[in-house]
Amino acid sequence: MNQTLTINISGIVFHIEVDAYEALKVYLNTIKSYFNNSEEREEIMLDIEARVAEIFAEAQNDKNQVIVMADVNKVIAIMGEPEQYLTDEEEEIPAQKTHRKREDKKLFRDPDDRVLGGVASGLGAYIGLDTVWVRLFFVAAFFMGFGILTYIILWIVMPEAKTTAEKLKMRGEPINIKNIGKAFESEAQKVGEKLQNVDTNKFSSKAGTVLENIVMAIASFFTAVFNIFGKVLGIAFLFVGTFLLVVLLALLFGSTAIFSISNDGVYSMASQDFFNLIFVNQDQFYLASIAVFLLIGVPVIGLIFLSIRMLFKVRSHYGVGLTFVGLLVVGTILAFMVGTRLAVEMSAEEEFEKTEIISPDFNTYVIKTNITEMPGQGVLEDKFTSISIEGDMMYQRFVELSVERSKNDSMMITTNFSSHGKSPKDALNKAKAINYVHQLNDSILFFPDYLATNKEHKIRGQQVEITVYLPLYQSIYLDKSTKELIYDVDNFTNTYDKKMVGRKWVMLEQGLTCLDCNDIEGITSKELEELKALKMMETVIE
Amino acid sequence: MNIENTQAQMRKGVLEYCILSILNNGEAYPSEIIEQLKQGKLIVVEGTLYPLLTRLKNADLLSYRWEESTSGPPRKYYQLTDKGKKFLEELATTWDDLVAAVEITRKPTKK
Repeated sequence: MNQTLTINISGIVFHIEVDAYEALKVYLNTIKSYFNNSEEREEIMLDIEARVAEIFAEAQNDKNQVIVMADVNKVIAIMGEPEQYLTDEEEEIPAQKTHRKREDKKLFRDPDDRVLGGVASGLGAYIGLDTVWVRLFFVAAFFMGFGILTYIILWIVMPEAKTTAEKLKMRGEPINIKNIGKAFESEAQKVGEKLQNVDTNKFSSKAGTVLENIVMAIASFFTAVFNIFGKVLGIAFLFVGTFLLVVLLALLFGSTAIFSISNDGVYSMASQDFFNLIFVNQDQFYLASIAVFLLIGVPVIGLIFLSIRMLFKVRSHYGVGLTFVGLLVVGTILAFMVGTRLAVEMSAEEEFEKTEIISPDFNTYVIKTNITEMPGQGVLEDKFTSISIEGDMMYQRFVELSVERSKNDSMMITTNFSSHGKSPKDALNKAKAINYVHQLNDSILFFPDYLATNKEHKIRGQQVEITVYLPLYQSIYLDKSTKELIYDVDNFTNTYDKKMVGRKWVMLEQGLTCLDCNDIEGITSKELEELKALKMMETVIE
Repeated sequence: MNIENTQAQMRKGVLEYCILSILNNGEAYPSEIIEQLKQGKLIVVEGTLYPLLTRLKNADLLSYRWEESTSGPPRKYYQLTDKGKKFLEELATTWDDLVAAVEITRKPTKK
């Protein structure tokens, strides 16, 4: 069983087997390539096609309704191989070559190797430079402003290399039978590839109706638009990919901080220091670096690769995609190994508490912190430095403060030290290694907003949680500096932490209540005095 | 020197003259022209003829008309134009001269 196509030659419909069609197409294209003058070429081709139709028509009868390879071979035998056609015009060209070598090369656009119009490839062939460099020049020129205009002018001025002879001229190869044959071998392959998708009725250029032509024109317009869109996207990918790659490499192997902009503002981290503070030893550090590079770097390189493909229509080897997948798998395995190790390092958590009782000597205690820079060199930074190092010491801004009701009449401050570790003992050691001291000067309670440990204890989720316990009617003033320090402080009006600062708060039966606030529901100093007096009286009565 | 090449050159030189001569006897379509040329072994493959006819036509030496065919696509019937006739006359003269010249060279000289 053979597949057949329906073709139209000079207005006559034939059924033709696929391989015969391919052979015929190659044959006709070969003939076509021999003629330079396009007007003449069209006419000659129509005449030849008419003759082919005649020969096919003679070959057909009731038994043989399908054109087969033998018929095409018969046509070729009758019409002759194009080499036998040599007329004066074709013969003169090689003769000219010997003494006009340079002029043999002509500037054409290359339709077979094009991104937009084939200008760059044609230009490259003419000046003997690899097309990639010409394209890079155009991309650079595009950003300098004159690229587009130059390209469009060249596009208009340069003719397209349509025939094989023109293509050979473009590349400066001598036009002789051998070279044309060579060029046509590749052409024939291309025809064969395209054939699978081609609408069989398109065989004759005259076959299309007006409507078909319009549809074709619209289709080719959209293809062009889509192509240009693809190029723009490709350029964008190239820039983003290159940028990401530079960032990633600097992040992994640079010692300086890298900045990036996110929703929270500028974020930076000195990756090597950070990793050293996390990983137990250098091996893990290297493994983690490789894992990060594979998991982030490989997709980034893939993006760059894709962009180059989109821009230059470079065909990639099948192995490339497979390699990418392989590297990603390796990266995942490494990340899993390092992650498991880290999880073990962090598996246990221990805490201990220190409590200090303060006699409520003052009506109002002021709670303050420092919002100065942390000591030493920042390692992990967001709005403020989160982690910094100085000498052997490491500082972490993981300190939280909350305010609660005291269970008795005394005012208390408890400081909870906690840390993770590979065992409860290790975790407790690390918690005990935390150096954190608050200060009380008269009515001012000063809490540093960072904790200190030795670097050797690594980053293991060390944390300090302070709770200030207030007896009834004790008031405090939350200094504005504590904005980042206080964490989810319960209060009567459910006021948000950030809005609590810069105000006085008093502990009532109902909870922490704003004192002398105009914009938040609370009580005035006068009311507070009355409440206190009332309580005094109650105590006295009892 | 390649003998086949030289032979082809000689044949090609007279090809245009022969085509014009055939058409001088009346209009014809390519297959008929080819038939006559093949008899004289002037042409081996048909493909040679089509570019030649188109060039002669574009030089205003030939004109053609379409005629429907029962066995295939419509045929182009070529005929000589006035210009073509004059051209043929000149070629005929040249041909006679050539034949005479060749004859002279072939005869042994008597002194």
